[in-house]
Order: sequence, then C-alpha cells, then structure tokens
Amino acid sequence: MNQEKSNTPLFILGGIMIVYALIASTNALLPLMKYLHTHKTLDLQVMMGFICGGLAIFGAVINLVRKPGTSIFDRFFLEPLPGILFLLLMAMAVRWYAEPFVIILSDNLAPVIGFKIYKVLNLNYVVLGLLIGVIITNTIGIPGFAASGVKCARFVLKMGVIMLGARYSFAELAKLGVYSIWLIGFFVLGTVFLVLWLGGLFKQPKSMSGVLSAGMGVCGVSATVAVAPVVKAKSEEMAYTIGTILSFGIICMFVFPTIGHMVGMNPVQFGAWAGTGILNSAQVAAAALAFNAVDIKTLKVAEIFNITRVLFLPIIVLVLAAWFGKDTGQKLNFKTVVIDKFPIFILGFLLLFIMSSAGLFSPPSHYKGKFIDVSYNDRTRITDEEWNVLNNAVNEGSLQGLTESQMAAVVDLVRQRQIAGNFDERDNKKLFDKTGRDRMYELEAILAAEKANEITLDKDVKGAIKHAIKQVHKKSKTVTALTDFMIWFFAFGLIGLGMQITKKAIMQAGSWPLVIGVISGVTKAVLSFFVVLWLVKDVVLK
Amino acid sequence: MVMSEEKIKIETGEAGKGTSEISKDANVEELEERALSVFSSERNEDMTALILCLITTFLVLIFTKWL
Repeated sequence: MNQEKSNTPLFILGGIMIVYALIASTNALLPLMKYLHTHKTLDLQVMMGFICGGLAIFGAVINLVRKPGTSIFDRFFLEPLPGILFLLLMAMAVRWYAEPFVIILSDNLAPVIGFKIYKVLNLNYVVLGLLIGVIITNTIGIPGFAASGVKCARFVLKMGVIMLGARYSFAELAKLGVYSIWLIGFFVLGTVFLVLWLGGLFKQPKSMSGVLSAGMGVCGVSATVAVAPVVKAKSEEMAYTIGTILSFGIICMFVFPTIGHMVGMNPVQFGAWAGTGILNSAQVAAAALAFNAVDIKTLKVAEIFNITRVLFLPIIVLVLAAWFGKDTGQKLNFKTVVIDKFPIFILGFLLLFIMSSAGLFSPPSHYKGKFIDVSYNDRTRITDEEWNVLNNAVNEGSLQGLTESQMAAVVDLVRQRQIAGNFDERDNKKLFDKTGRDRMYELEAILAAEKANEITLDKDVKGAIKHAIKQVHKKSKTVTALTDFMIWFFAFGLIGLGMQITKKAIMQAGSWPLVIGVISGVTKAVLSFFVVLWLVKDVVLK
Repeated sequence: MVMSEEKIKIETGEAGKGTSEISKDANVEELEERALSVFSSERNEDMTALILCLITTFLVLIFTKWL
C-alpha cells in the first residue's frame, strides 16, 4: 500500500479526533452527554481523542519525512494505522453515541409498544458493532485506506478473550456444588457433540459446525472467537454463529420465565435452568430478572452457572482441535493437540484467570470485580443519622413482620454500626466472614420483602439498610479497568469482523446453521429443564 | 521444495482487496486466512496478543493498584 496516499485519511481522522477532544474538553457536549448518560466518560473521551488524534498526526508526519519500507514498524504500525483509527472512531461512536441512543429510544418507545427493544433484541455494542461493520461493507464498501486496519480485527478480538479471564475467579467456581459443575460440563460438552453431529447430518462445512458448536455449547462471542482459529472458521461463519445464538436467546428470554412460572420452579431452580439453557450472559440476566426481580438468588445462581460455562472454554478448544484435526485426516497425538494446536491466546485467558483467582486484581472471591467486604473497616460504616433511625426503630419495636434472623441482623447492625461478623470470632477469618455475609443476606431479604409488599418499612429505615448493604459491596478498580479494555477490544474487533462479511457470504451460509442452532438449543433447554427439576433443589450455592 | 510456476486466483474478500494470485501448490485455506490478518502466522498473532495483554494488565495494575 502506498503510504503517501494514506496520509490524507490520517490527517482527516486525526483532525476529527483532536477537534472532538477539544470540543468535549470545553464541556460544550456535556448536556448531550448527560442526556445520553455518558458524561461520566467525559475524561476518557477527551483523553482518547487526544491520544488517537496525536497518533494519527504522528503517523502522517512520519509518512511525509521517510520513504515507505518493509520494516516491522511499517507493517504493523504505519500501514494499518489509518484502518485501526477508522475502526476505533466507529467503536467510539458505537459506545458513546449509538448504544446509549438506542437505549434511550427504546425506553421512550416502551410505553407504546410494551417492551424495550434494546433488551429484547439485545442491541448492545456487540450487535451494533457487527451490524455497522456489515452495513458499511455492503453499502459504501471498506475504504481503501482502512483495509489493512480491518485485518487487525481478529487479533484484537483475541485480546478481548484474553482479558475476559480477569473477570472470573476460581472462588466463584468453588461455590458451586460438585453436582452443578458436572451438570454444566455435561450440557456444555453434550451440546458441542450434538451440534457437530447435526452439522454432519445437514452436510455443513466443518468450520461452520465447529464454531457453532462452541458458540451453542459455551456462550456467544468469546467462545466463537476462541474456537474460530482452531477450526479455521471464516469471518462470516463467526458472525453467523453470533447471530444464531443471539436470535435463539431472544426466544428464550420470553419462553423461559413463562415456563418457569407455569411449573412453579423455585428461584434457585430457575437460576440454574436459565444459566444452563440460555447462552448470552445479558439474556441470562434478563430472563432471571423477568422470572423474579425480587429474589437476588435467581440472578446470582443464573450468573454463576453462566460464567462457569466460560471456564470450560479451554476444554472445548482442546476437544474441537482434536475433532477438527482428526476429521481433516491428520495424525494426532497428545503433543499435536495440546501443544501444536492449542491456541496460545487461550493460555493467555487461563493466565489472567489464574492471576485473578490468586487475588492479584481483587480479593480472590470476587465476581466480575465485585466483592463483599465485611471486615472491620471505617469505610463500611453507616452514618450517625442512619444509626439513630435504626436504633429508634429497634427500641420502639416499629419493625414488624421480620423473621427472627432478619431482626437479629438489624440489631447487630445497630450494635456494630456496620455489617460484619462477631467481634469474638474476628481471629477466625472464615467464620467471621460467613457470619457477616449471612447478616448481609438477611438485610437484603428485608428489602426484598418490602419490595414484594410483604412488609412495610419506614423510608428512612429502608434507606439506612440500603446504605449499609451498599457500603460492604466493593468494586475492584483493576478489574473494572481490565473489563473496559475488554469491551473496547470486542467493540473494535466486532466492527472489523462485520466488515469482512459480504451479502454473498451470508447467502452462501444459508439457513441450515440457524436450523442446527435452534434444534441443539431447544434440546439443551428441554434436557436441562428436566435435569434441573430433578437434581437442583434449594441449595446449590455453598 | 520445488515451486510450481502455475498460479491460481483466490478470493480474499473486500478486506483482502478482492483477489490475489498465488502458487497452485500453496495451502489455499491458510493463505485465505492469512490474507485477513496482518500477521504471517497464527502463532505470531497469538503471541503478540498475549504480550500486549500482559503489558496492558501490568500498566493497569500500576495505575489502579500499586501507585
């Protein structure tokens, strides 16, 4: 590619970003950002605008003063830079404007049409990014200067999968009983083999069946990206898999809560079923909340079942590497599969998962960076006013309808001014922590009962309890930052992936992958329904 | 390895800028895939992704935890 030619787009892209950053830094866009609820990212928007704009100008100036060469700097920086910045600009547009705008629009339309479009169609940055990429490629086409940058899409998606490992920790996995882990493993592997078998039956390309099996077995985007290089899947096959999973999830979001209520599942059973049967994390959460918005247990169980599936990713990659190698007639032994075929970036995912489990980013028992801190800590105390409100309520006996343990949790909150374990047990960290957490769950149950109109709470008492619970809920800054990077990597990569999908390719894929997806998805949902009803009773979390 | 003089055209899509001419003996699937990446091999791509992620993680740890 002639780098001199690529200078104009670089100057234009750099100019747009710097001008945007300048305007944003004057707070001129603040009212719009507040309307879109993106004002908290103002500093990030300004910083990214200046850094990316600066990089563009830097690249353009270098192009002006030196002749294009074939060095690593030319191949990996100067050549793809315009394309990378083009994708980044679109990722910014999606994250800061398109996604919030779709949310606001569907919120406003909800009273008229009866549901929120963005929730039902899952119109988050994943879908919007892919859609925008597909639309650009099939209308104006990929601009010539951006072609080299679009080739970075898969590479950046891999970085997203590596970063995903930082969000999870072994402690969450350990909370599930052995039963549950067997259950999840059985369904993950079962679905993978079912899809592979169906793929053979419907004469689908191996690459399509391979990537679809991982997507249907584990979960949407991350599994698709992780498995694609192992089964040599094309971009359109990856996009098709993501599309199939999301479409199937939309149906599940409506059907699951309805069936759950019809058969009288308890919150834990429904959480386990949704976490096993629905694929996309956001759709799992939506179904759990639709089933029971009051009992936090449903969502928690569903989410834990869901994330545990992600941790099966390395195993699925191994299984599919062996399957693909065998089916393409290669002689396979342990070394070929585990060392030669196993993608290095999945090792990166595992490495970050191990670092996360070891407590490098957050206390080991975190979940997506959130953790509960019931240790003695001044920062987890309630205010003096809140203490007075609670103390009066306890002394006057105005807290009616609470269970014995709920009342005990409130009394202890008054006694210790914070949610914590027993002072005498402070040397036994495990017991201290457990007692504190139990008290927090009791206080959460009080709020849930109030929400369900089972009891009546004074506004100030409710506020004090709410604040006490909020005080012990902490969030790791490190995991939050790593998650932000992951989201940006996925947004960038998915726009680029979308740009590699032409109408012709979609037509060639036909509707069979969708049929296979629906058959395997329904089978999994039905089987997991009976297994959950049969095996999962009330307690699956330790 | 003796290289064949015969060439064939492969479809590399919009991102690969249409079609490319390659040797008939070449591994077409591998080349099609490489045409959609800036890296010459899967291993290089994975290693670079891993190294960049570790650098990012290290920087995030410095700014959010250790400083």
